[in-house]
Amino acid sequence: MARMKFYIDTQRCIECGGCEVGCKNENNVPMGISRIRVVTVGEGETGETNVAIPCMHCSKAPCVSVCPVDALFTRPDGIVHVNKQTCIGCGYCLYACPFGAPQFPTSAPFGARGVMDKCTYCAGGPEEPQSAKERQLYGSNRIAEGKLPFCASVCATKALVAGDAEDVANVVRQRVAQRGGTDNAWGWNQAYPTR
Amino acid sequence: MTNSMNDIRNSKCVLIVGENICTSHPIAMQHVLYAKEVNKAPVIVVDPRFSKTAAFANKHISLRQGTDVAFMYGLIGVILENGWEDKKMLAERTYGLDVLKEELKKYDLDTVADVTGVSKETIKELAKVYVQNSPATVIWAMGGTQHNNGTSVVRAFCLLQLVTGNMGRSGGGTNVFRGHDNVQGATDLGVLSDTLPGYYGLGEGPWKHWANVWGVEFDYLKSRFKSDALRESSGLTVARWYEAVLMDVKDLGQDTNVKAAIFWGHSTNSNSQMDRVKTALEKLDLVVDIDPFVTNTAVLPDRKDGTYLLPAATIYESYGSVTNSNRDVQWRDRVVPPVWEARTDLDIIMDFAKRFGFVNDFAKSVKGPWGKDTLVEDIVAEWNIGMLSIGMRGQTVARMKRQRDNAHLFDVKTKKGTSGPVKGEQWGLPWPCWSETHPGTQVLYNPSIPVMEGGSGFRARWGDKAPDGSDLLAGKGSLPPGSKEKGGYDAAKGYATDITGKVIDEALAKGLNPCGNGRARINAWNLKDDPVPKHREPIHSPRPDLIVKWPTYDDVKDLFRVPTLFKSLQKPDWAAKYPVILNTGRQVEFEGGGAAERNCWWLVELQPEMYAEIHPELAAKHGLKHGAWMWVESPEDTDGKPSRVKVKAKVTKRVPANMIYLPFHWGGSFEGKSLADKFPDGLVPYGMGESANVVTNYGYDRITQMQETKGGLCRIVKA
Repeated sequence: MARMKFYIDTQRCIECGGCEVGCKNENNVPMGISRIRVVTVGEGETGETNVAIPCMHCSKAPCVSVCPVDALFTRPDGIVHVNKQTCIGCGYCLYACPFGAPQFPTSAPFGARGVMDKCTYCAGGPEEPQSAKERQLYGSNRIAEGKLPFCASVCATKALVAGDAEDVANVVRQRVAQRGGTDNAWGWNQAYPTR
Repeated sequence: MTNSMNDIRNSKCVLIVGENICTSHPIAMQHVLYAKEVNKAPVIVVDPRFSKTAAFANKHISLRQGTDVAFMYGLIGVILENGWEDKKMLAERTYGLDVLKEELKKYDLDTVADVTGVSKETIKELAKVYVQNSPATVIWAMGGTQHNNGTSVVRAFCLLQLVTGNMGRSGGGTNVFRGHDNVQGATDLGVLSDTLPGYYGLGEGPWKHWANVWGVEFDYLKSRFKSDALRESSGLTVARWYEAVLMDVKDLGQDTNVKAAIFWGHSTNSNSQMDRVKTALEKLDLVVDIDPFVTNTAVLPDRKDGTYLLPAATIYESYGSVTNSNRDVQWRDRVVPPVWEARTDLDIIMDFAKRFGFVNDFAKSVKGPWGKDTLVEDIVAEWNIGMLSIGMRGQTVARMKRQRDNAHLFDVKTKKGTSGPVKGEQWGLPWPCWSETHPGTQVLYNPSIPVMEGGSGFRARWGDKAPDGSDLLAGKGSLPPGSKEKGGYDAAKGYATDITGKVIDEALAKGLNPCGNGRARINAWNLKDDPVPKHREPIHSPRPDLIVKWPTYDDVKDLFRVPTLFKSLQKPDWAAKYPVILNTGRQVEFEGGGAAERNCWWLVELQPEMYAEIHPELAAKHGLKHGAWMWVESPEDTDGKPSRVKVKAKVTKRVPANMIYLPFHWGGSFEGKSLADKFPDGLVPYGMGESANVVTNYGYDRITQMQETKGGLCRIVKA
C-alpha cells in the first residue's frame, strides 16, 4: 500500500512563497489561515535556511492520538484528515503537533476557536470525492484526479517533494548521493559536530 | 543572454553579480542548484547585501555599491598576471587587448581592494576558482546595470568571459536575467527610443527598410514627422521623459515640451526622481493609463481632469508570441476572452490607428492587409520578413504552435527536441533563427558547431578593419565547421535588408553565418569616454576621497533629448550630509510597480507593508526598533530640497551596517500621506506604501540613460 509523504529539501527551498500562494488559490483558504508556510531561520547570516511547513502527515500522528472525539484519522494511504463535522475545536491537536499544522479560523472570547483546518494533502476530506460539499469544507481533491498536491507541483526548485514514500525516498537518496554526503540533512552539523 | 537559463546546468562555476535569483527569478534558481549539486560548481554571489541567493552560495562577496568594474578588473588582472587567460580566444577572436592591458595598470590589487572593499586574498582566490572550474558563467541583472557607468559594468563582465575563454561555450557566456514577462520581446520589437524593430537604428536606411516591409512609401513615413532631424534622432527615454515636460524648451533636444503621455503597462513608481515625475504628471494636458489595474500613475498627481484609465486585458485574455530572457519565442494561448470592458492591447492600438485615420497604412505589410481574424499571426509574419538583422526569420507561427504541442519532447538541459516533428530544434527557436529549417541558436557566438546547427562566430558588425588598421575579422583557426572559408569573413552584403531572404539563404547554403565571423571588440573606439570600461564613482559616492581619481563623466547637454548632469552633481560633500548607502531591489511576491500584485490579497498577506531593511547596528544608532517608523531622506539633487519617504524599519543582518535597502514595488502613499482616496471606488489595492523611487538619487548611465538606482545615498530620521 502506498503511503503519501512530503519531503522538504532545505538545501533547495528559496522562500519564494509559491507553495503558500498556490495552496490558498487551489483550496480557497481564507486570509489568516496557513495550510503551508515557509519559515526562514537565521535570516541574513551564513547558514540561512528556509523550510516550507505543511502538515507532514505523520505515520503515527500525535494529533490523531490526542483528538478526544476521533475527528482526526489516518487514511489507508497515510494522509491525515480531519472530519470538520466531528471536530469540536478543542485545540489539543495544536498542542500535540510538532509542526504547527492545525489552524483555527476564529479567535473568540472563552477560547472558542472554531473547527480546525489544515493541509489535506490536496485530497479533500471525508465526503463524496469532488462533491460541492467536500470542496466547501476541505478544498480541492487533486489526489482523486491522480495529481500531486498543488504546492509540490508548483515548487520552483523542487524543494517540496510529494508522492508515495518510496518515490520520495528515491528522489531524496539520489540528491544525497549527488551532493556527496549527509550535508543535506538540515541540522546534521549541529547534531553531529565532529563529522 | 548569450546562453540560456537552462544552459546553467552545464556550468562548472556560477558567478552571480548584482542579481538576486531567488527573489527575482525563483524558477531559474533550479538550474543554479543543479549546477551546484550535480556539477559541484562553486556558486559565488557578489552583492553588497547578503541576499537570499547569497544564502545558497559557496561564497558571498560583499563589494561596495557601484564598484563592479574595479572588481572585474581585479579578477582579470590576476588572471592575466598568472597567464591563465585563453590565449587562443584572445588572439583569434578579439580586438584591442593592448588597450585593456594599458587600462589595467591603474588597477593593482591594493587599489582594487580599496575601491571595492573586497580583500586582495578574496579576489585572488576567486580568480583561481574561476579559471579552475570551466566553463564558468557570469550572471547579472539590475545590480550590474543601474550605475552611471552601467554600460561599462556590463562590458567588464563580457571582458572577463572573453579573457577566460568562456564566451561562446555551453555552460559559459554572459547571462543577464531580464526582469519582466516578454521584456526581451519588447526590446527586440523596438520599444526603445533609439531604434526601429530589430535594432536597425533610426537612420534613413532603416526607415527605408521598414517602409519596404510595411509596404508603404518612405516619403509617406517621412511626411508623418515634423522634421528629418527629429525622425532620425533618439527620442526620450522612460527614465527621463518628465524632464521634457518640466524643463525650459530651450534646453531640450526637441522644439516643444511634452504635453501628453500614455502609460502602457508601465507604472511611474519605477522612475527615480518620483517627486519630479509627480510634478510633470500634474503639468501634462493629458494622461492616459492603460493597464489591467489602476497604477501609481493614475493616483500620484493632484489632477482634477484629463486623466483617462483604459482597462487593458491581461495575458490570460490575449494570445500571441512572447520572448523570454533566453531569446526563446513561445506561443501563448488565450484562456478566456477579455472580461468586462477590458480590451486587448492590440485591440486598443488598432482602435487608436482607426481614430487617428491611418489604420489602412498601419494594418498591413508588404504581403497585404492584416486579416481581421489573423491579426497576431500576420504581425508575426511581418517581423519574420523584416527583422533579419537578428535572425527573427525562422520563428513562424506554425513552428511556434508545433513546439507548443510537442513541449514534452524537449530536453531540459540542452533545450533540444529529442524526437518527433521537433527533433533537432531548439526550444523557442532562440534568435538568430535564420530560416524555417534553422534550429535556432541556444548559445550565441559558438564556432564549434555548424551554422545550420546554431553555430556562429562573433558578428562582423564593424567591418573588416578597425580605425587603427587592425583586423576585425576572426583569425584563421576560428569559424563554424562546414564552410569553405578560412577564418573570419564579413557579413553577407545586404542580409539585413533583403526582404526576400535570398542573401541569407545563399550564405547558409555555403555554411556561412549571414552576419559574418568577426572579432569581439575589447576596444570599442566609438564609445569616446570609455573605449574600455573604467571605474567611475557613483554620482553620490560614499567615498569622496576617490572622486578625484575615479570621477564620473562630464555633463551632457543632450542625452536622449534632455540635458544630463554627471560631474556637476558629483559633490564631495554628499557623503557627509547623507552618510547611509541607499539600495533598492525586489521582493519575490511583487513585480515592477506592483499594481497587479498589490491587488492580490494572497501576496499582500505575505508582504503587507513597505519597509526598509536596516542593520541592527545602524538601527540602534538611530534608536529604531524592529517595526518603528522612520524617514529616509535623499539628497536635494536638482530641485533644492530633500525627498523623503516614511517607512517601517525591518531590522535584519541582510544589509551591511552602512546601508538601507528599500523594495521598489510600492505605491499608493506619498511622503507620509495615503493616496487611497484618489482611487476609483472599489479599486483601492490591498497593499499600499511609500515608493522607494521617491528617494532614489539623480544619476543616469552615460550611454543608455538607465537610472542609477544602485548607487545612492540617504540619511535616516526617526519618525
